[in-house]
Amino acid sequence: MSWADLNLMPALPEIFLLTALSVILVLDLFLSDAKRGITYGLTLLTLLGCAVLTLTTWVPYPETTFSGMFVDDPVSDLAKIGLYIAVAVTLVYTRQYADNHGIFKGEYYTLTLFSLLGMMVMVSSSHFLTLYIGLELLSLALYALIALKRDSTPALEAAMKYFVLGALASGMLLYGMSMLYGATGSLFLVEVANDIASGQANSMLVVFGIVFVVAGLAFKLGAVPFHMWVPDVYHGSPTAITLMIGAAPKIAAMVFVWRILAQGLGAAVADWQMMLVVLAVLSMALGNITAIAQTNLKRMFAYSTVSHMGFLLVGILAGTEAGYTAALFYILVYVLMSLAGFGILLLLSRAGFDCETLDDLKGLNQKNSWYALLMLFAMFSMAGIPPLAGFYAKFAVLKAAVDVGLVWLAVVGVVFSLVGAFYYLRVVKCMYFDEPNDEPVPAARPDMKLVLSLNAVALLVLGVVPDSLLTLCVDAMKQSLSVVAGA
Amino acid sequence: MSFQEVVFYVLSAIVLYSGLRVVTAKNPVHAALFLVLAFFSAAGHWLLMQAEFLAIALVLVYVGAVMVLFLFVVMMLDINFEKLHEGFWRHLPLAGTVAVIMIVEMVMVLLSPSADLSSMNEIAPLAEGMSNVRELGLQIYTTYLLPFELAAVLLLLAIVAAIALTMRKRKDTKYIDPAVQVRVQRADRVRVLKMDAEPRANADTDNNESAA
Amino acid sequence: MEMKSLYLLIALAPLLGSALAGLFGWAIGRRAAHVATIAGVMVSAIGSAYTLNYLLNGGEPFNGNIYTWLTVNGIEYSVGFLVDNLTAMMMVVVTSVSLMVHIYTIGYMSEDPGYQRFFSYISLFTFSMLMLVMSNNFVQLFFGWEAVGLVSYLLIGFWFKKPTAIFANLKAFLVNRVGDFGFALGIGMVLYHFGGSLNYTDVFAAAPALKDATIELIPGSTWSLMTVTCILLFIGAMGKSAQFPLHVWLPDSMEGPTPISALIHAATMVTAGIFMVSRMSPLFELSDTALSVVLVAGSITALFMGFLGIVQNDIKRVVAYSTLSQLGYMTVALGVSAYNVAVFHLMTHAFFKALLFLAAGSVIIGMHHDQDMRNMGGLRKYMPITWITSLIGSLALIGTPFFAGFYSKDSIIEAVHASNLAGSGFAYFAVVAGVFITAFYSFRLYFLVFHGEERWMKVQHDDHHHDAHDDHDHHHGLGPNDKPHESPWVVTLPLVLLAIPSVFVGYIAIEPMLYGDFFKGIIYIDHEAHPAMATMAEHFHGAAAMTAHALQTLPFWLALAGVVTAWFFYMKAPQIPAAIKRMSGPIYTLLENKYYLDDIYFALFAKGSRLLGMGFWKVGDQALIDGLLVNGSAKLVGLFSRVTRKLQSGFIYSYATAMIIGVLGLMTLWLSGVIAR
Repeated sequence: MSWADLNLMPALPEIFLLTALSVILVLDLFLSDAKRGITYGLTLLTLLGCAVLTLTTWVPYPETTFSGMFVDDPVSDLAKIGLYIAVAVTLVYTRQYADNHGIFKGEYYTLTLFSLLGMMVMVSSSHFLTLYIGLELLSLALYALIALKRDSTPALEAAMKYFVLGALASGMLLYGMSMLYGATGSLFLVEVANDIASGQANSMLVVFGIVFVVAGLAFKLGAVPFHMWVPDVYHGSPTAITLMIGAAPKIAAMVFVWRILAQGLGAAVADWQMMLVVLAVLSMALGNITAIAQTNLKRMFAYSTVSHMGFLLVGILAGTEAGYTAALFYILVYVLMSLAGFGILLLLSRAGFDCETLDDLKGLNQKNSWYALLMLFAMFSMAGIPPLAGFYAKFAVLKAAVDVGLVWLAVVGVVFSLVGAFYYLRVVKCMYFDEPNDEPVPAARPDMKLVLSLNAVALLVLGVVPDSLLTLCVDAMKQSLSVVAGA
Repeated sequence: MSFQEVVFYVLSAIVLYSGLRVVTAKNPVHAALFLVLAFFSAAGHWLLMQAEFLAIALVLVYVGAVMVLFLFVVMMLDINFEKLHEGFWRHLPLAGTVAVIMIVEMVMVLLSPSADLSSMNEIAPLAEGMSNVRELGLQIYTTYLLPFELAAVLLLLAIVAAIALTMRKRKDTKYIDPAVQVRVQRADRVRVLKMDAEPRANADTDNNESAA
Repeated sequence: MEMKSLYLLIALAPLLGSALAGLFGWAIGRRAAHVATIAGVMVSAIGSAYTLNYLLNGGEPFNGNIYTWLTVNGIEYSVGFLVDNLTAMMMVVVTSVSLMVHIYTIGYMSEDPGYQRFFSYISLFTFSMLMLVMSNNFVQLFFGWEAVGLVSYLLIGFWFKKPTAIFANLKAFLVNRVGDFGFALGIGMVLYHFGGSLNYTDVFAAAPALKDATIELIPGSTWSLMTVTCILLFIGAMGKSAQFPLHVWLPDSMEGPTPISALIHAATMVTAGIFMVSRMSPLFELSDTALSVVLVAGSITALFMGFLGIVQNDIKRVVAYSTLSQLGYMTVALGVSAYNVAVFHLMTHAFFKALLFLAAGSVIIGMHHDQDMRNMGGLRKYMPITWITSLIGSLALIGTPFFAGFYSKDSIIEAVHASNLAGSGFAYFAVVAGVFITAFYSFRLYFLVFHGEERWMKVQHDDHHHDAHDDHDHHHGLGPNDKPHESPWVVTLPLVLLAIPSVFVGYIAIEPMLYGDFFKGIIYIDHEAHPAMATMAEHFHGAAAMTAHALQTLPFWLALAGVVTAWFFYMKAPQIPAAIKRMSGPIYTLLENKYYLDDIYFALFAKGSRLLGMGFWKVGDQALIDGLLVNGSAKLVGLFSRVTRKLQSGFIYSYATAMIIGVLGLMTLWLSGVIAR
């Protein structure tokens, strides 16, 4: 390979992001605290720029560069667009909150951009090493973000837990990868896939590696029994950071899992399918049941995340193109729902007060019926009640499972989503039927109100016309998978 | 058993023993030193595989820099290791069971015929004049360019994160800027006010008021 | 404009109006609300008229999907339109009557606090009804079906503080549930047995091959697939079009405001069943048994509901029973395979019945919301426009030659006469006898309301002394010295506009609709098996000849006899009805109590299901579900969460242990898998 051969076009968004990030990093040094809004604006502009670049370099087939370590395919492009939107929305929602809670600093934005870069690398890697580095880039930035509120003991504790357990999970992931390397002699996903498919690889070692890789991936998703960090970290972090962890990284994690399991280890689907079934059932069961016992909304959302990841796994473990598509659709919808749900919590928080328990939402309808309605959309969607988007997401993954003969798994999924409906509806009951408390509804920035309204209404719109997004997912998945299979 | 194999097993034994001691040592400094020993032995393994550069890098970076730093931290912080070891015996049954099952399973996997470890090729000796550093450099700057660059970004992130988490702008710190001291003018420090003389009685009431 | 976009616009314009009035009614005020909804419906009405004109002048019918909602297992669920002559005619009827009712409502509801809500509902209804008639597949048909049912429910209970209204809307809802259950099963049969498509075209194409197919619903007995499917679908029509024995909800639906009685419970929604069966003619034609069921249900409704109209004193209820009876006529026409006659009667009936309802509403306004006919009389002088238009409506209803109802109703009678289907003898008797009954109660109403002495003066006087009237809420009504006034122009204008088609539409439309090409390729009739239409066509020599011939036919003289009897009984010798009432004690009581059907249903179904529910509640709910499942699972959840809480200790090492145990579990799982291999 020579430098002249290096095609940088597929990686243009990443390169732009890194450049812009460095510029912001330096510029921010010269800004006083009062002018921190400039950093905020520049960050949003950067996201816009990335989106433009991603859209202009969108091609309906996979393109590789950097000696085949970097791949730019429609799934990664779609996921990146999702990431930009998720991060941008997160930043808009947390603008006021960050100001009120002393984390409105330049580092908040640069670390966020670092994490975004990590996610983009995760999404676009076709090599175990780059996948891993992307993951670490994301994780390290998140650890720092959680600890950014230095005087908050719960936040520090959450950061520490996440850090230590994350290191353990990374260790498992690396161990599994090394096993796969041992079995196939390569770290390129394509070569690993070919080796396994042709039977050249030592199947025992491959499966041994898969166990550890799955464990590492399950940690990143937060699937039972690798979920223990989720409630503590969600609860301990400032709500803004909880959203930062709970939204965009889920998209990256899903594509990450898809790359490794579907593209790298697709031929060994029989080996990992049962493992994922176990994880999925446990996650749906434990997540939904434990969430019922929570009165803290952030903790409840954490367990709800665990259960949603169980559903996501149901889609992935089908091991079919339809299953992966369903999972992709699911995660995009899930992120929208999370954003809306946490958005309301952020909206109702103000300096010195975090809206995070059920009691804080009591009688919201009487105080501000529009906010209550938006929260209702988010809750109904999470519970999977038609005609909101969450219903189609659940429907799609369950259907994928049924199509590969796992009817019982779909039944389990339906049963636990019914269990889950209980705590989502409890939130709704709280907002609509309980007497309001004295807590006033703080005034919100107009941009946040607008984005939040759009976000929640999008759940309804996507539920009524799911085809728009679904078609995007179907096409992206088809175009990304077909060529890999041929290569 | 060839010489290399003897060296391998000896080194492996040292790694395992020192790894165990890192966990069990009562004195934190000892634990850290055992970790150093483990690293050294691992570097020996690399040497066995003719990866001299990596072996030296391991010693320089981990032993020379990271572990020394670590030792400093351990010595500076007053960590009560007795407390950390509390509950060791309480948790041992569970942890021990888990560990034993884990070991048994891994051994079962690796010893089973289908694992077929014997087919793993022995490492062929490197050609004469083959330079580890050169090969590594070639790989890093061509094939592995992307991970290399990303690792650099990771380091940058680590720096930013570390600074963000530790740097404090303390508003209450009092410090002196000599340049300002030198440039100071009389007008900056003393202001002369012109005012009419006041009758004494008024001054008295003023005093009383301020006292109250 | 491209026709597809036009159709979309026709359907969506009322929805937009409804959304505006419903969601923002509080902000934009009363005036803007009615302007918005009327504008929406007017757009639809003009579009529909244009569509009909376009199709009549050789335009291509449209059949296509607009939007694919979702695809499951290769079955598409889509929103699609099928716009042919039948649809276009229904669209014109729906939107024009709806437009009249919208305008009328401005006057009728002017003092109601729920003004905007009402406009929102009726526009929403128009949208739903359009979706129903324009559909090209069963799913959308079902959507429209349920949506009109929902709006009907909302509107019957519009005055939701009135207990009777709440009872009535609940009743309508529950009775329709029974019908819809059958309908849904019918659609299920279609989906399951007709090649897996829900598109009309595909289903009709698949139908002939399945003529002799049989299914075993209960093992051992085989039934004709086509008969089962058609009867199930017809059960849906029975619910919606209020056919015996599912008719009980319609009279009670009069608790709703009068405009919706005209729009929903006379002109449009209740005819949905008729429309649906006509649309399904390729299916029904394949099963004589199903057609006989349709015929008998229709004849019972036509005759026996007419009887009930005679004994009613509430002006709206008389019109309601007359609607039931007329719906029976349409169903009879369906039964003898004269689908186009049924649709023809549907159209004429929509105009004159809407007219009668709106006129009744106008009378009610004039009487200050007193609906008891015994308190009226002599209104002719005070409300001339209402009087004339009512007279036109009544004449049309009883089938006076040259009026719209004559052509459609006479054609039905002719068709029944020409039919050879099992049950057609009874049906012929029913429809002919029905002519007399119809004429009698229609003119009983007419004479009681518009002629004779002005009884409202006496009412108040009587009340003071011996409290003879069973009218509890007599705070309504005119005072002894008040005079009724003609209603404002927004009320009378729709009356006049509806009176025009009530007179002319039959004469104009009979030839193309019954004997021309209007329904060619849309309604399918097996002329060999069901020769009624073919026979009629032989004897038809133009509308004018038919009118002239009327004087020699039995129905005409029966109708005349009905009118004369009504005149004699209520104008000349009011003592006779009272005497008859005394003499025919048990029969009168039977009629008064609507054949006791309500009581039977109440005792059998309402009480029965409450008993059943009680049983379920005690055993199933309290013992099993509450005791075992809910509390049991709550306990289980409690236990579970206690365990998980213990696991969630907050200590890193226990989390790490969990992870390691997890890996171990996965590995063990896989190892056992490998060993099993």
